[in-house]
Amino acid sequence: MATSSMRRARMMRRLWIAALVAPGLLVMTFFVFVPIASALAYSVFEWEGLQRGAFVGLANFATVLFSEPYGSWTWNAFRHNVIVFVTIMVVQNGTAFLLAYALFCQPWGHRFHQVTVFVPVILSTVIVGFLWKLFYNPFGLVNQLLRAIGLDSLAIPWLGEPTTALGALIFANTWHFIGFPTLIYLAGMQRIPRDLIDAARMDGAGNWSLIRRIIWPLVAPATTVVFVLTFIGSFNWFEMPFIMAGLDGSPFGATDVLGLYFYRTAFGNQSSSLGDFGLGSALAVLIFGFVLVMATAWTLYLRRREIEF
Amino acid sequence: MTAHREQPAGRLGGSTLFWLQALLIFNTVLMLYPIMVMVFSAFRSTRQIYSSSFGLPDFTNFANFQRILADTEFLQYLANSVIVTGGAVIGFLTFGTMAAYALARYQFRAGPLILLVFLAGLMVPLKLAVIPLFVQLKAFGLIDTRLGLIGLYTAMGLPSTVFIMTGFLRTLPRDLEDSARIDGASEPRIMWSIMLPLTRPALVIAAIYNAVPTWNDFFFPLVFIHTDDRKTLPQGLTTFMGEFSTDWGALFAGLTLSALPITLVYILLSRQFISGMTSGALK
Amino acid sequence: MRTTLVAAATLAATSITGTAGIGMASAQELTFWTWRQEDRAAYEEIFAAFSEANPGITVAFEAFEPTQYQTILSTALAGGAGPDIAHVRAYGNLEAIAGPGYLRALDGLVDVSGFSELALSAETLRADGQIYAVPFASQTLVIYYNTALFAEAGVEPPETWEQFIAACQALADAGIFPIANGTADAWQNEIMVGTLVPSFYGTDFEADLVAGTADFTDPRYVEALARLEELKPFLPDGFTGIDYSTAQQLFINEQAAMFAGGTWEIANFRSQNPDLAFEIMPSPAPEAGADRYVSTFFDGGFALTSVSEQEEAGLALLNYMATPDFGNQLVSLLGNISPIEGVEFTDPMIAEVAALNQTAVSYLMLVHFRYEEPSGSVLLQQAVQRMMAGEATPEEVGRNVTEGIATYHAPFQN
Repeated sequence: MATSSMRRARMMRRLWIAALVAPGLLVMTFFVFVPIASALAYSVFEWEGLQRGAFVGLANFATVLFSEPYGSWTWNAFRHNVIVFVTIMVVQNGTAFLLAYALFCQPWGHRFHQVTVFVPVILSTVIVGFLWKLFYNPFGLVNQLLRAIGLDSLAIPWLGEPTTALGALIFANTWHFIGFPTLIYLAGMQRIPRDLIDAARMDGAGNWSLIRRIIWPLVAPATTVVFVLTFIGSFNWFEMPFIMAGLDGSPFGATDVLGLYFYRTAFGNQSSSLGDFGLGSALAVLIFGFVLVMATAWTLYLRRREIEF
Repeated sequence: MTAHREQPAGRLGGSTLFWLQALLIFNTVLMLYPIMVMVFSAFRSTRQIYSSSFGLPDFTNFANFQRILADTEFLQYLANSVIVTGGAVIGFLTFGTMAAYALARYQFRAGPLILLVFLAGLMVPLKLAVIPLFVQLKAFGLIDTRLGLIGLYTAMGLPSTVFIMTGFLRTLPRDLEDSARIDGASEPRIMWSIMLPLTRPALVIAAIYNAVPTWNDFFFPLVFIHTDDRKTLPQGLTTFMGEFSTDWGALFAGLTLSALPITLVYILLSRQFISGMTSGALK
Repeated sequence: MRTTLVAAATLAATSITGTAGIGMASAQELTFWTWRQEDRAAYEEIFAAFSEANPGITVAFEAFEPTQYQTILSTALAGGAGPDIAHVRAYGNLEAIAGPGYLRALDGLVDVSGFSELALSAETLRADGQIYAVPFASQTLVIYYNTALFAEAGVEPPETWEQFIAACQALADAGIFPIANGTADAWQNEIMVGTLVPSFYGTDFEADLVAGTADFTDPRYVEALARLEELKPFLPDGFTGIDYSTAQQLFINEQAAMFAGGTWEIANFRSQNPDLAFEIMPSPAPEAGADRYVSTFFDGGFALTSVSEQEEAGLALLNYMATPDFGNQLVSLLGNISPIEGVEFTDPMIAEVAALNQTAVSYLMLVHFRYEEPSGSVLLQQAVQRMMAGEATPEEVGRNVTEGIATYHAPFQN
């Protein structure tokens, strides 16, 4: 009796779990996994336009990794993704943490600032990219402002100089998305038990030691989320550079990232090239594999250092 | 759970508070100024924008807006975007929360693997799959339909929804659930009446995190939607950006008009949104 | 009058060679896809005229975003969907669609006797030598100049390179940007090569290139690049950050006196600023009396797709699109340079373009080196962008481009 009712309960529990998980998995399978599996299989074939040719094994991978000019293009784009990730992680998310702390301290008007910091996030990337492209124009807002305050020598073609173009894109991207990590951090801070903070204050802890000893360790779950999403976002970065610098990663590859590179390799660029599905797919497999392995490793590692409370 | 209105984090020194205040004000100016320039420029002619971006424009000059509304199917695009994004948000929040709940609150053998499968979905370059996707959608009659886009965006929003919701649900305390279980509540009942009400902040985060790219996407509509009156707003936007590329005034008017709906929604809901997102749901 | 007669004759011929469907009562709707969204009104007018001559066939116009058009069209065709009649591009882009069998070969089905060899070769698949599209327009790369600004600076339209440089200097001294173009958009760099300096390489170089006896390290080509580099001081301030639309705007708003671009700009310039007084000229000659070249290419054509189930109606439309009558409408409504024999160019500027086309060299990379990757265009655009930013010499550009193409082009491998 007891065992049969237990078995029945276990059965019910299994059914219940399956019912919860199945719809999501089905949708993912239909719209993502089945198509992507066939797409990834493309990477081991030769392609003529959209027509599949002979099986070529790993030749496409060898081409994009080692044969020139692809090898140096791949490396160049990868290097830029690393720069983008590190810069966004440090500058955008660091500033976001600071903003979150400022909001957390609830100075006068904090609710208003909380609303405004998120306004750019809701704007379309098409809009933001286009807006900043016009601002960075040699005759645009940024240079008009610089000239107005007498910094004429700084009024340069921001998107045209190889040394500033990537930085300009990252800044625009930061403007666009900083509200997101800010609010994630703020949410994390507000979940810290009040007594911990009060106790630290009682002990005479200053801002710095409060942040270092209590807040930073206790917002670790938020950091995990921010870190992993930033990592994935940085290596799939496409819309912003596409709108602002074009498919070529102008000027001469200074803003080229893997997303752009993969896209124009696979689909071609209307004003310069035809697509090659085999090479494009090989790149996609490499990007996908790299991001999957790294993101999984980061998540596992970071989750371990989170503190339960 | 009601939001706690608490004391600020201890008593802060005047100078610290001053600097934090200054930082916030500076940031707000930085966030709003470009948007203000965009709106102001919509009332200027191209030549005026070109010579200077400063100063107040003539707010009675609606010429740019009239051009956009007359020359494009703006309202139809807007309606399509609302339908598609709305449908997708309902889809990924429902399915995503269900899956995340199972993954976070129950121990079962396939759990970690299923989580990994969802996470993998976060990283796939789905643009590459556009051809198999097209073939498949066509086989099910979903090409050139809004339903096809809703399904696709639901799938694209699911991984991060599961990721965010699992992380959040995992931190909810066990005691509530356990005491309900002792009282004999069924599992669905526990989920629906006890746990889910606590997840509002995370739901809001997941919704916004995915609704924004869904609202913004123009690649898939470009390839999958062929009929003009089913096009979405960003798809229409890329069209008119080509058409008005040398008419900055009209461009800014178009950008302003397309930013307007979602900005209004945000401002109207900002109180709930921000408190939902940040209120300490855990005590 | 003559043209209408020809059109009527062609149509009659088509209906005799078996177009059973057309006479039937049931209405047929053909779908037509294009990237030319700004041409909607003109095409609808043209299609209305076609429907009048072919009762029972109507044509629905659908336009798509230009830079994504190739992806949209080929994805749809690969997925078994798509239009009956598609606007397709020429050269390598045509091959990418025709090669896998998404278009019907038109040999013997459409009367293409009104087209030149050159026009037809742009729409021919090299693998089988068949024609896959009815050519629709040729484009010519010319130097636009603002006559009012030239007068203001006391400058005569230059003939030789020396005069050209002197004119630029005079314009710059008068506080006018001599040339509007910038290098921020990669493809603009290739346009500048094809517009400003083709007189330095010309058709001899092209012939050697095709024959495989010259590559891009050839002194003629490197010389041309060196001349382009000379123009850096005459481009707008911060030209490395000037994109295509900003350059257009500088010219339209009369802040720059010249603009290097294609003939597709004519209609645009006229509509954006009706007061703009401008003329066109070919690339300046290396020395007095030498030939002055323009670059030309064919923009694309109209094709019948393999997914179409209305072959006869589709062919009727394509045959109509090969008539001078249709060509005249393209010219008068859209300012396109129709390559159909017997088309009349009433607009003086269009007539001038037709005259300039007599001394033309191909737009080299598009016509000859955009079939395989890395394409000549990709290599040239990046390398010239680098040269204009002062990070490469003309010799290095020539070498880079040649080495890149050599990875798949045997004649360059030595």
